[in-house]
This record gives sequence, structure tokens and C-alpha cells, in this order.
Amino acid sequence: MDEDKLIERARNGDKKALAELVKNYEQTVYNFSFKICRDKERAEHTMQETFMSMVKSIKQFSGKSKLSTWLYTVVSNHCLMLARSQKKYGYTSLDDDDNLIDEKNIADWKITPEKVTEDKELKKVLDRSINKLPQDYKIVFLLRDIEGLSTEETGKITNLTVPAVKSRLHRARAFLRNELNQTFGYERG
Amino acid sequence: MKEDKIKCKDVMSHICDNLGEELDSPKCIAIKEHLENCKNCQKYYNSIETTIELYKKYDSKISGDVHERLMDFLGLK
Repeated sequence: MDEDKLIERARNGDKKALAELVKNYEQTVYNFSFKICRDKERAEHTMQETFMSMVKSIKQFSGKSKLSTWLYTVVSNHCLMLARSQKKYGYTSLDDDDNLIDEKNIADWKITPEKVTEDKELKKVLDRSINKLPQDYKIVFLLRDIEGLSTEETGKITNLTVPAVKSRLHRARAFLRNELNQTFGYERG
Repeated sequence: MKEDKIKCKDVMSHICDNLGEELDSPKCIAIKEHLENCKNCQKYYNSIETTIELYKKYDSKISGDVHERLMDFLGLK
């Protein structure tokens, strides 16, 4: 059954349709939550809260935006709120744009991205690096580069203007690349 | 590093700005040309692409238990 019909049925109280919608999006929501939190327990909690929010407000869902966009927004807001309440991470300041790109520090990388599925040490490096990013930069990077959303959609979800999305994406890419370069770069150019 | 009007730093900055977007402004064309001939900028481009690829590949599959707990939590079992 197509999504519009499922939403319509769910809005009219059909629990099976609601369960079907949850099933269709649980992997996407869990994965996106995991990529922000970098922690399975917190990802599960965020996913549960996100779908609870969907169940409670499905009757008000107007269909003006895509359900996936709405779910990404709920996850993003939940994680931003969590980060603000915890405030335990010392995020890196990315204000100094000039120093983010150092054209003298360029190396060849000998790394196969496929390895990441079974390499625990590599996962640790990736977690450590992305966790240094301020939460809004991390969310923009994940939405644009990992989930493949457009700049406009990312702006809508994060409540940022298009130039603000672009600027965060630019800095997040450069910052992460620099962090990983310390591990994967084997020669100095 | 190739000496021309466009500096490597500009190209690297452009890669961070516009990776994945098809742009055909005169500046973009000049940058593509520079990129084709500059080993350093190619390395930078590859490392940015690999960074994104690594984070794409690192995902977490939902287990049967997690699914069951979710449906239970939502009262949809």
C-alpha cells in the first residue's frame, strides 16, 4: 500500500497502518539517531521517543511535508535538546575558517571504507572525530552527506538558512577530513 | 603544486563547499581544470570523498529485540 493511504488509515485510527509506517521507517530513524548519538542505547531511546511523537500526532499530520522529513526533524530536535541538557561534551570551535584548510598538510589515504563494518578501532576513530563537532554541524553533515538530503530540505529540518547550512557543511567536511588525516594520512605533501 | 590563477587553497575550499553538486560556472570549470592537473588537490578531493564514504558505511542495523521493544513501547504489538 502506498504511503499516503497508510497515513490516511493511520489518521483514522488504524493500528495496523500505523505499525506498517513504523516498520517502514524504523531502520532509517534508528540509523540516523545512532549516527548522531554514536551510542546504541541512546539511539534506541531517541527512536522510541520519535515514533511515540508520530503516534500521538499522526492525526495532525497535514501531509504538506514528507513523513521522512518530519521524522528527521523530530530526531534532530530530540538530539539537539539532549545535547543542550547534557552539555558534557567539549565541542571544537569551528569559527576559525582559515585554519580549517591547510594546503601543505595533504596526504594519500590508504584506507578502504568497506573495512569499517568489522574494524572496531576504525569505528572508535570515526566516533571520536565526529563527536568533536558541535551538534548542529554534525546534524547538517549527516543529513546532507550521509542521508543525501538537499540543502533546502536540510535547512527546513534544522531551521537554518541555506547559506548557514552550506557554511556548516563546508566546515564539518573540512574538520572531519583533518581529524581523520591524522590517522590515515601516511605521507606529508 | 601547480602555479596558476587559482590557488590550491581555493580549490580545496571549493571542494568542501560544493562536493556532489554539478556546477558549471566559469569558476567551477577553472577549478575542475586545476583539479585534473594538481596531485595535491586530487589527494584532498579523495580524502574528503573517503571521509564521507566512511561515515556512510558505518551504520547500525536494528535488531529483532530493538524492533520488539519499540512496538511494545508504542502499544502496537
